[in-house]
Amino acid sequence: MDIDNQPATIKREAITFSATGSEYFRIWIVNLLLSIVTLGIYSAWAKVRRNRYFYSSTHLAGSSFEYHGNAIAILKGRIAAVVLIAAYNIAFQVSPFLGFIMFVLMAAILPWLVWKSLQFKLYNTSYRGIRFGFGGSAKQAYLYFLLLPILNAFTLGLLTPFLHQRMKRFQHTESRFGSSHFGFDASVGSFYKTYLLFFAIFIAGLVALLVLGVGSVIASFATNASDPSKIGGLLLAIGAIYLWMFLVLPLFLTMIQNLIWNHTRLQQHQFASQLTWGRTTFIMLTNLLGIVITLGLFTPFAQVRWLKYRLEATALMAHGSLDEFVAATGQQVSATGEGVVDLLDFDLSM
Amino acid sequence: MTESVSARYFDGQTSRLYHVTLSVDGDQAVLAGDIERRCPLVQLHVSERTSHAVRKVSFPDGAYLEIADQAAFNKLLHTSGHRDSLVVRLQQSWRATLLALLATVLALFLCYQYVLPLAAKGLAYALPPAVERQLGQGVLDMLDRHVFAPSALGQARQDGLRAQFARLATPDGSRLEHRIVFRKSKIGPNAFALPSGDIVLTDEMVALMPDDLAIMGVLAHELGHLQRRHLTRRIIQTSAVGAGAALLFGDVSTVVATLPPLLLDLKYSRDVEREADDYAIAMLRHNGIALEHLAQVFVALGKLDHGTPYLSSHPASAERVARIRAAQ
Repeated sequence: MDIDNQPATIKREAITFSATGSEYFRIWIVNLLLSIVTLGIYSAWAKVRRNRYFYSSTHLAGSSFEYHGNAIAILKGRIAAVVLIAAYNIAFQVSPFLGFIMFVLMAAILPWLVWKSLQFKLYNTSYRGIRFGFGGSAKQAYLYFLLLPILNAFTLGLLTPFLHQRMKRFQHTESRFGSSHFGFDASVGSFYKTYLLFFAIFIAGLVALLVLGVGSVIASFATNASDPSKIGGLLLAIGAIYLWMFLVLPLFLTMIQNLIWNHTRLQQHQFASQLTWGRTTFIMLTNLLGIVITLGLFTPFAQVRWLKYRLEATALMAHGSLDEFVAATGQQVSATGEGVVDLLDFDLSM
Repeated sequence: MTESVSARYFDGQTSRLYHVTLSVDGDQAVLAGDIERRCPLVQLHVSERTSHAVRKVSFPDGAYLEIADQAAFNKLLHTSGHRDSLVVRLQQSWRATLLALLATVLALFLCYQYVLPLAAKGLAYALPPAVERQLGQGVLDMLDRHVFAPSALGQARQDGLRAQFARLATPDGSRLEHRIVFRKSKIGPNAFALPSGDIVLTDEMVALMPDDLAIMGVLAHELGHLQRRHLTRRIIQTSAVGAGAALLFGDVSTVVATLPPLLLDLKYSRDVEREADDYAIAMLRHNGIALEHLAQVFVALGKLDHGTPYLSSHPASAERVARIRAAQ
């Protein structure tokens, strides 16, 4: 009899994002100034302020998220990261052998740092007063962030979709909200299908452009046109290929994000993601244009626009009440991993 | 007791939502509604003021309040004596933000103009010569494979020029270890110094020079680059500018982030050429060689001024000739 009632209790709770570009611009510029004046030390506090603003502006079912990262912990992580990265670069300049040793060393600790960073990020996020968390083991981190990528390199990248699925499965099944685990059920096959579809569209567009572009260039040479128009035609063809690359990248982003979030759930509550290619491309292109034209001043507006679109395309299909989650007994995690991952600019959200 | 503000309370243990009202009674915060609670104000933490994010009040045990009614809550905070931090007041004022923008641009400019060159200089001189040598290792091998052919100059001619330069005294007495190498090039007249201590002189450059003393001028200029650690300084500066640009624009696009370092590098390379010219002037003068020989180097280069690589990022030849003649 429960089964009969189920459809009626599902309620679509869309995420809303209330941050605005103009308000974030003010936070961003003050952060930037203080970071420069303090030679980067303030950047840890800047990160906390930015995240607090963004998290507190993200609403789900009437409640907002909260960021709890501690600036001093982040600063320590960043200092460790700067030392590590500087040592790595200097080692390569001094001798290739020393560089190689540092490379192996970095490869050996990075998976551990990425794992710690995931823990830090989630532990410091809360919703309705309950913190998220991340479990997993060092063994898993080394398997998914070191062993499988190495294996993938030896198979010419043919394992990329498999690797991607395994990484996301690791991330999404080890994530917790309080004491409740997230679940992930996208299959390896669905990742291969998405990658193949993307490549088919990418190659088809490229072939179409090449046929059109090369054809027109050959035509211009054959009709003995003057030099400038030949070069113009060639440049136009190259430009069109670049533009195509820029148009298909958002396609990949939308397909992958939709695949991942449409197969993620929190207990009985399913997530849904509805990004579209057209809108994503439009936002990315106009953001890039805006930033270039304003010499970077548009950056905060661009970030808010992109975040707002990505977040608001996601919803939670709440299956009953959201009142039943219970906090876990967690412990504080170090921010070293977070610092390195920050500086190396990994995007773990995809 | 103040007026009450409606709020949503979470206990930090479960995700259950409690509808409450918040008011202040003396130095105590008072919650009423789904749950009753009193807490001293000093133990509470209030989140920073923004216009579009939800305000939060956290309790020491992890419980917290979400308050949507910003205006009523601000009034409550005001009466209880809460004050925004300086950073929040800056962030909330457009005037302060515009001032911060101007200050940011000014700070970036000052860093680029004064702090960075000074820091790079200090760092370059502090670097042990062995490390500096490593920076240029392999560059000459790479050039030999792709750009250069063995020099057509006779061994006697090469040794003669080397010996002549070795006899010249340096202006400050110190002389970094260096090696003069001759090559035939596909890129025309050129001379440059590598951090490895190699000064490369192309056959075309030797042929272009009106006399051997002009060649000494060229070598003195290149030795100046070595003595002043120009390449090392440049590497440090471009990586610093690159890192800065990556921090500013990194999350946008790597293409956008690599543009500023390329453009900003031009100014440094002009300053560096002037410094090397000054070193050559001092060295020639120290050895009693007329500066006109050095001036003739740039007159000769200026004649083929259609963008040879040697000149592309350098001050215009005419300007340099004028500077050298003025120093006479």
